[in-house]
Amino acid sequence: MLKRISRYWWFQIVGWSLNLGISVFFITTFGEPTSIFFLSLFLSCLLGVLITHIMRYNIQKLKVLDKPVKKQLLFLILLTFVFAVFFGILTEAMDYLIDYNPERMQKYSKLQRLFFSSFNAMWLLLVWNMIYYIYHYVERNRKQELDTFRLEAMVKSLELKTIKSHINPHFIFNALNSIRALVDENPQRARRAITELSNILRSSMQAEKMETVPLQQELDIVKDYLALEHMRFEERLKIEMDIDEDTLSQPIPPMMLQTLVENAIKHGISKRINGGVIRIISDFRDNHHELIVQNTGSLNGRLAHNPDGFGLKSTQDRLNLLYQGKAVFHINDIAGEMVESKIIMPLPSI
Amino acid sequence: MMHKAVIIDDERLARNELKKLLADFSQVEVIGEAANADEGIEIIESLNPDLIFLDIQMPGKTGFDLLTELEKAPHVIFTTAYDEFALKAFEVNALDYLMKPVEPKRLADALHKLQMAEEKELAAAMSGSNRGMLNENDQIFVKDGERCWFVKLGEVRLFESVGNYAKVYFGPNKPLILKSLNALEDRLDERIFFRANRKHIVNMRMIEKVEPYFNGGLILDLKAGEKIEVSRRQAVKFKEMMSL
Repeated sequence: MLKRISRYWWFQIVGWSLNLGISVFFITTFGEPTSIFFLSLFLSCLLGVLITHIMRYNIQKLKVLDKPVKKQLLFLILLTFVFAVFFGILTEAMDYLIDYNPERMQKYSKLQRLFFSSFNAMWLLLVWNMIYYIYHYVERNRKQELDTFRLEAMVKSLELKTIKSHINPHFIFNALNSIRALVDENPQRARRAITELSNILRSSMQAEKMETVPLQQELDIVKDYLALEHMRFEERLKIEMDIDEDTLSQPIPPMMLQTLVENAIKHGISKRINGGVIRIISDFRDNHHELIVQNTGSLNGRLAHNPDGFGLKSTQDRLNLLYQGKAVFHINDIAGEMVESKIIMPLPSI
Repeated sequence: MMHKAVIIDDERLARNELKKLLADFSQVEVIGEAANADEGIEIIESLNPDLIFLDIQMPGKTGFDLLTELEKAPHVIFTTAYDEFALKAFEVNALDYLMKPVEPKRLADALHKLQMAEEKELAAAMSGSNRGMLNENDQIFVKDGERCWFVKLGEVRLFESVGNYAKVYFGPNKPLILKSLNALEDRLDERIFFRANRKHIVNMRMIEKVEPYFNGGLILDLKAGEKIEVSRRQAVKFKEMMSL
């Protein structure tokens, strides 16, 4: 608030000084000014500051800026007119008081002189009002833009949260069903499975709070997830990991690898009677961190039919949000009847 | 009454869990299990169970696909984990389903409902119908896009041949099934289902009016408004049946 007031006064001082300067320039160039003229000019500028300040008080009091444009225009003209007359009267009174009575004005009556003064003042006030309105108009627009931008940012972060917290309920209930079967068959395994499932649920809740997590942490979740899926699919699911140890500390978006692995199981392994392989690869290549999930199966043009199947579109969206377009995600068929989804992320600058 | 049941689910643990639950119900005996739709069809055809517990999401073919391939659908209780798509299909048609992990109370309810339905059928069957044929209490499973139905044959008013498919008219619906009209005619009870012409089989109970047609043919007005022409040769047969 303090800053705003000072900006207003800054405008006032510069504006009226400019007016003063221009008047001085013209009068010294084209005429012979007397010292009493300078006094009159200076005092009228001070009056100008006072009167426009009172006018501004009225603009604020009447809430002119909140009115529709047509009414604003009407108020602008009305205020300019009223205050111009006010200004004219005060200038004339002041000139009378300081005994400033230039020769060229002596042939006019008091009323005529008042009219001239007011007319002059009107132009000044009109310019002042224009600047005042335009300034506020621009400021309002800028603020509105800022608000819109803030809103967009908020929507984005909300979207990000809902994307992150996604864990397929189908998986959860199937896992619980398997665990119940294991309670009699293999109680040790059942107990471990409960721990694995709670790890996944916990980290899917915590994922909302973080932008990135170290790969190691994400990989722990994925391993728990795969252990549970292995419990369901048994020998139909084979798991292979090829992780470069140095990439374990790399930051990655939480639950992203998890989503890709989940998709690989859902669309790859679970659709095949004889199951298949899930392979996870993490490596450095060309100054980038590559994270790859391969699974047995084929896309079969599924992408063309449904390009925004939840996991895929949201993965690209999240990468765009986090890396501003510097990270790439693609998915395609590769040799050996496999599907490969690959994330290429830039290395964080040190 | 003892039910011979099979369990079809791709997960061994899920099958075991269900068997364990069913052990508490003396009226159900599990006589077989299968891990996918094709194995499922095989054991259904060889063991002829009167109840199947059927998972929907399975590798290869879904549980729905399996049912559409059966000539006559046995009693089915679907088992599924959370699955929005399947739930929608159930809500529309009130098929019976159990959510995994299965609550024993829900299982008891489902079996009780089955018992009721069967008693009703038994009473109907007693009133006479020749064995081996599909009778009007038998149900067929019909899937049309996202929607599925179990339809009692008695509710079907008309089968219409469309290429290799047959269009099944019941209520406001007329989905397609992958069966030829000739195959259907062989299995349907001819006292109820009458082959009116090359393209149509009509449910006799759904006929409202019979009108003569030129060249010795007939026109059958069905209750729902369809008009079916009876060829001259079939008209003779129709009149014979009617005069009996």
